[in-house]
Amino acid sequence: MFAYILRRVAATIPVMAVVALFVFSLLYIAPGDPAAIIAGDQASPADIERIRISLGLDRPFLVRFGSWVWDVLNGDLGTSIFTNLPVTHMIAQRIQPTLSLMAITLAISLTIAIPLGVVAAWKQGTMIDRVAMVFSTLGFSVPVFVVGYVLAYVFALSLDWVPVQGYTPIEQGVVPWFLNLILPSIALGLIYMALIARITRATMLEVLSQDYVRTARAKGAGQRAILFVHALKNAAVPIVTIVGIGFASLIGGAVVTESVFAIPGLGRLTVDAILRRDYPVIQGVVLMFSFVYVLVNLAVDLLYTLFDPRIRY
Amino acid sequence: MKRRHLLTAGAAFGATLAAPALVRAQSASTLKFIPQADLTVLDPHWTTAYVTRNHGYLVFDTLYGQDSSYAASPQMVAGHTIENGGLLWNLTLRPGLKWHDGTPVLASDCVASIQRWAKRDAFGGALMAATDELSAPDDKTIRFKLKKLFPLLPDALGKSPSVMPAMMPARLAATDAFTQVQEMVGSGPYKFVASERVPGAKAVYARNEAYVPRADGKTDWTAGPKIAHFDRVEWNTIPDPATAAAALQSGEQDWWDYATADLIPLLKKAKGVKVSVQDPSGQIAIMRMNHLQPPFNNPAIRRAILGAVDQSDVMQAVVGTDQAMWHDGVGVFCPGTPFATAAGMEVLTSKRDYAKVKADLKAAGYNGEKVVLIVASDFPVLKAMADVGADFLQKAGLNVDYQALDWGTVLKRRTSKDPIDKGGWNIFFTAWAGTDMLNPAGHLSLRGDGEKGWFGWPTSPEIESLRNAWFDAPDEATQKKLCDQIQRQVFVDVPYIPLGQYLQATAYRDTLTGVNNGFAMFWNVKRV
Repeated sequence: MFAYILRRVAATIPVMAVVALFVFSLLYIAPGDPAAIIAGDQASPADIERIRISLGLDRPFLVRFGSWVWDVLNGDLGTSIFTNLPVTHMIAQRIQPTLSLMAITLAISLTIAIPLGVVAAWKQGTMIDRVAMVFSTLGFSVPVFVVGYVLAYVFALSLDWVPVQGYTPIEQGVVPWFLNLILPSIALGLIYMALIARITRATMLEVLSQDYVRTARAKGAGQRAILFVHALKNAAVPIVTIVGIGFASLIGGAVVTESVFAIPGLGRLTVDAILRRDYPVIQGVVLMFSFVYVLVNLAVDLLYTLFDPRIRY
Repeated sequence: MKRRHLLTAGAAFGATLAAPALVRAQSASTLKFIPQADLTVLDPHWTTAYVTRNHGYLVFDTLYGQDSSYAASPQMVAGHTIENGGLLWNLTLRPGLKWHDGTPVLASDCVASIQRWAKRDAFGGALMAATDELSAPDDKTIRFKLKKLFPLLPDALGKSPSVMPAMMPARLAATDAFTQVQEMVGSGPYKFVASERVPGAKAVYARNEAYVPRADGKTDWTAGPKIAHFDRVEWNTIPDPATAAAALQSGEQDWWDYATADLIPLLKKAKGVKVSVQDPSGQIAIMRMNHLQPPFNNPAIRRAILGAVDQSDVMQAVVGTDQAMWHDGVGVFCPGTPFATAAGMEVLTSKRDYAKVKADLKAAGYNGEKVVLIVASDFPVLKAMADVGADFLQKAGLNVDYQALDWGTVLKRRTSKDPIDKGGWNIFFTAWAGTDMLNPAGHLSLRGDGEKGWFGWPTSPEIESLRNAWFDAPDEATQKKLCDQIQRQVFVDVPYIPLGQYLQATAYRDTLTGVNNGFAMFWNVKRV
């Protein structure tokens, strides 16, 4: 197992290298010029050219790429063209809000979606099943920003229960931290809940029709034990898979959610950097996200062994 | 679970829900402000971005200020003397001025700052071109030995539009003008709190306890005493306008710099929110043509296009039908300012006759060449201008190729001087602050300095000659006459086309008083 983990971690290196080359090349050929954006609308072409040179943007592709790779290998993701701050510092500043958002989203989603899917499968064809699936379809269909606006209007602006926007670091109090994140987490988690609930329902339906479940019933096992001990554990592998895959959509959704709720997280950092062509920040964030994504997939693979002892690496 | 436990949990949850008050912006000494855009660049000499200029006025100070009548008055300087028939200016610094690092403000610091700023600013460039020697004969005196008369010297050093003539310590001003300074050390009424900065989200300023406001004068724009009432000013970037409006309504934020036009009716009805226009000079929308490529390398075609422009249509698309928020009949200089003139305006204000425009275009030699519009579709205001612009150009019979891009791509694309089949362009739309168009000094879009000038690269020796004469003019009456001539010449050479003026509303909690006229400034503002 340990050797497997080591192999998988080592396998991230070529993946990261490909991502790095791909992102760097894509940014190089993409239109846009950070020097022009920095200089502002009224700057002269000569001013822009001087800034471009001062930023080293006039250097050939291979020289820039080589220099960047060397810095990355030395643990330096570079310095933001605009803010003059190290990219690692900017990522560090933004990571807590995004991790907090994702953690609460994940917790809410799993807490609601799995029981919902289980109950929908158990009560297949009943009103409960239909309501659960309508909720699931809505979750898929309504865009994050619409849900966000509606939640903010109802719970923040009209009822005044929670803040409209912003983020309070957890060090300044768990309650304000949580209150700032509850609406964005629900908005972001809705599609995730829908996805997990549907997969849970479908997998549970398949499992519940198997012989060993009938045997368990025949032996007099209670409904709760059948559903959550016997059936759910065997349905867990596809559910865990979809939780891992859905992580990518969470990252994408975080970009929108963080903008709507003004959360200073990595999603907003990424969008801002792309709009400004802040190349070092884009490269740093994409590298980090791809690394995290690889690790999440590794975690999912390892979780398989927990739910299904037949799986061994 | 027992009922008692449930009730306890319910009460705890209720208390939790009541807690948002903890994160509200009701501290008596903190002003929470939503800037017009994120503050990415801190160096006010390094960019022309207005958000950086606004930040600059918190941290840095200027030798002169500018009041709402656009006149310069002493700010960091106690005053000045003029000798040798106007060729020798001695500016004397006020006593007690200190940088935020505690060191005294010296004349040599200001000399270095002026030299750095002038490399990035057109008005500053004109001042330095007229200067034979700039020196600091002692710690308090800044001396300009001029080659020729430059009566606008205080106006240049006190200009409020970008690029801000910010004073900084010589050690920072020694930084190349094209490289960003690393530290925010000014002498303004607030200090920048670098440790609390979160780029893209937050910038924090703390009151500069050592700041000595002017003892005389009245606070008006950047002129007069700057009295900081708040201990802290927090800028919170909220990229989504609807969220910004909601944060203001709920009291989480105190002030939203640029309230978007579509949300103004909502904010006007909101309890506890005040909406006002603080800057009567607003923004001037413009259409810029590429003078190096056909068909707009032909002046007769450019002149013909003037007949197709309908400023009121453009303005309605940008800010709506409330005519209090926009003006048409806008010429080269900002309406309501000293050099605004009606000279030659009939080309824009007469009845629009598209049949005549078509005939004029044909007579000028237009043969249906493609006209590439590069449009920043991620800026609603610029997109609205371009949508209407494309419409009137099509009505005039032009073969319009509307290319929707993002602003970053427009900024890059417009640097291209190539033909359109090699990635070039014909027209882009943008807007300038009205204060950028007060006079010919900082008004870059009217320049006719060819390929070294602003994008579009118009060449007009006549306009350049009139502009130079304006700098040399002995009095305002002569300057006004020259501005009349400049405007007439602009309608002959057509370096750009004005599309109207729109005003920018700002919105703030009605508990704030003393919100200054002009752009967002933070002195004099207090909570009642």
